[in-house]
Amino acid sequence: MQRMDWGMTVKEEAAGLYKQREKRVNDAIRLKKPDRVPIVSATEMFFIRSAGLTIAEAMYNYEKMAEAWKTSMRRYNWDMAPLQHAIRSGPVMELLGIKTFKWPGYDLPENSSYQWIEREYMGADEYDEFLKNPADFTIRKLMPRMATTLEPLEKMPPITWMAAGYTLLAILPTLAGIPAIQELMDKLKRAGEEKAKWDRAQQKLGEDLNEMGYPLFTYGVTYCAFDWISDCLRGMKGSMLDMYRQPDKLKATIELLEPMTIEMAIASAVKGGIERVFLPLHRGAAGFMNDKQFAEFYWPSLKRLILALIDKALTPVPFFEGEYTPRLAYLAELPPGKVLGHFDKIDRRKCKEVLGNVMCFWGNVPSSLFIAGTPEQIKEHVKELIDIFADNGGLIIDASTTGPPPEARPENVEAMTEAVFEYGKN
Amino acid sequence: MNEKLVNLMADLKEKETIALVRELIDGGTDPSGILDDARSAMELVGKRFEKCEYFIPDLMMAGEILKGISEIVRPLLQKSEASTKKGKVLIGTVAGDIHDIGKDIVTFMLDVSGFDVLDLGIDVPPEVFVEKAKAFQPQVVGLSGFLTLAFDSMKKTVEALQQAGLRDKVKIMIGGGQIDDEVRKYVHADAYGKDAVAGVQLCREWIGG
Repeated sequence: MQRMDWGMTVKEEAAGLYKQREKRVNDAIRLKKPDRVPIVSATEMFFIRSAGLTIAEAMYNYEKMAEAWKTSMRRYNWDMAPLQHAIRSGPVMELLGIKTFKWPGYDLPENSSYQWIEREYMGADEYDEFLKNPADFTIRKLMPRMATTLEPLEKMPPITWMAAGYTLLAILPTLAGIPAIQELMDKLKRAGEEKAKWDRAQQKLGEDLNEMGYPLFTYGVTYCAFDWISDCLRGMKGSMLDMYRQPDKLKATIELLEPMTIEMAIASAVKGGIERVFLPLHRGAAGFMNDKQFAEFYWPSLKRLILALIDKALTPVPFFEGEYTPRLAYLAELPPGKVLGHFDKIDRRKCKEVLGNVMCFWGNVPSSLFIAGTPEQIKEHVKELIDIFADNGGLIIDASTTGPPPEARPENVEAMTEAVFEYGKN
Repeated sequence: MNEKLVNLMADLKEKETIALVRELIDGGTDPSGILDDARSAMELVGKRFEKCEYFIPDLMMAGEILKGISEIVRPLLQKSEASTKKGKVLIGTVAGDIHDIGKDIVTFMLDVSGFDVLDLGIDVPPEVFVEKAKAFQPQVVGLSGFLTLAFDSMKKTVEALQQAGLRDKVKIMIGGGQIDDEVRKYVHADAYGKDAVAGVQLCREWIGG
């Protein structure tokens, strides 16, 4: 073991830093003053690009991706390591024939971000069918619409027919003998093997980062029920029109999905062993619905989700994408020191006034500046955030979107880290 | 002007609005007058949007009602009644970005505000913007993008228009989730619009109407 000058091994030093960093971040979340304002970023693609890798390479070469991640972690030296929620395995997506994404290395240029293809995967007239038997609808309708490999599933008989043992024996092996289903099972097997490879690479990366002294920031993730419907089932336009045309069915679906959003969060948090759970929020922002609609369709299930996670001793980390200033009064209903809110666009001073004693403030250094601005501009923003928020400890620094954007200039990102070290000491 | 129709539509009462339109048509009301009322209602919707009483879902719902009215009324109109347009706007989501919701709303709002809009769709390369700008001869070019990679695509599109000698002939506006004045400077656009109504206002300022 290599010895440092002061007689501590590298490993011991990293372990010490790990503890310090974990405490620093947790203190901020609990609204207790840490030794320094923490800096944690939810970035994904930037870590890849900054280390000289294309996004396509990262999605197809797991070892290279992990190396790039570690290189960037050392360079930007944040308090915790961002973990990939968005970067996926390209081969797995190809084997499944995913129709809901376009991605680099497949049908987008190598340095493009992967992009979700928003469609009405569920028709306006299909709520009743989904509500009546969500699992069956998912398997026989949604999955074939979302992945070409799964298309043969649309020819299956209703899944519930197999609820009787006699019919299970009669139907299932017959299905398994159909060539299209056999091909599906073969592709799924290969996708599963590939995913296991990806998971092992992720596991190893997590361990390496921990050994370098960086705790992982989040592992578990879940969605607000309205977003699930709006992003993935009905599309933005579909869900918005549903608020007018079929509000009761929309609400019934929110009620159906809400407990699942909670269970998903708890299950993934337990699996990852990390208490912080990421909640990327999309359609509740100001502009995307009016206040009455927010109160009716969005906030009740989001609030119950957040409270349910707190009840399980987890720390919800909602990412309030878009403008949230008009929603501050709602957020103030949450218990103090239990939630870490990532803010994109917000009136900083008003936020401090309303939420200063409720939740730790994270983010809000304008993402556009990382591409179009200068290190000095970035530092000014960090300084202002510290001036406004840091007095009670409730501040963590990051860009306004989930971390610096992929095209960010590295010197601008370094400036964010430097500014925290310069101005953030308590 | 039929105030009841204008108010029902501006209040986004879809069923009642469509029922009233049918009733008016059956009663022999001039179909082009109904379309004028629908346009007046859209103006009210736009004003409520500016005042932050209405938001994107309301614009979408208003658009749906307008579509419903058009479907009833258009077949009854004489072709010659097509109104003259205020000016031309070329619009598209820039290269590498496939987001269309914001662009579609701007296109719709410009259209109902009386502009002749040519929508090039999504993931539009700079050379296509140049080619179409030459053919369509717009007064305004609108570049849309949601992803941050759009900043560079917008910049390249503006440069391409410049190189083609078109930069002085058009005003360029940009818009999208992460767009702000820093991005406008970076891209060398003339202005950015924070939402669809702001985009319409820019076109009004530049073209008139």
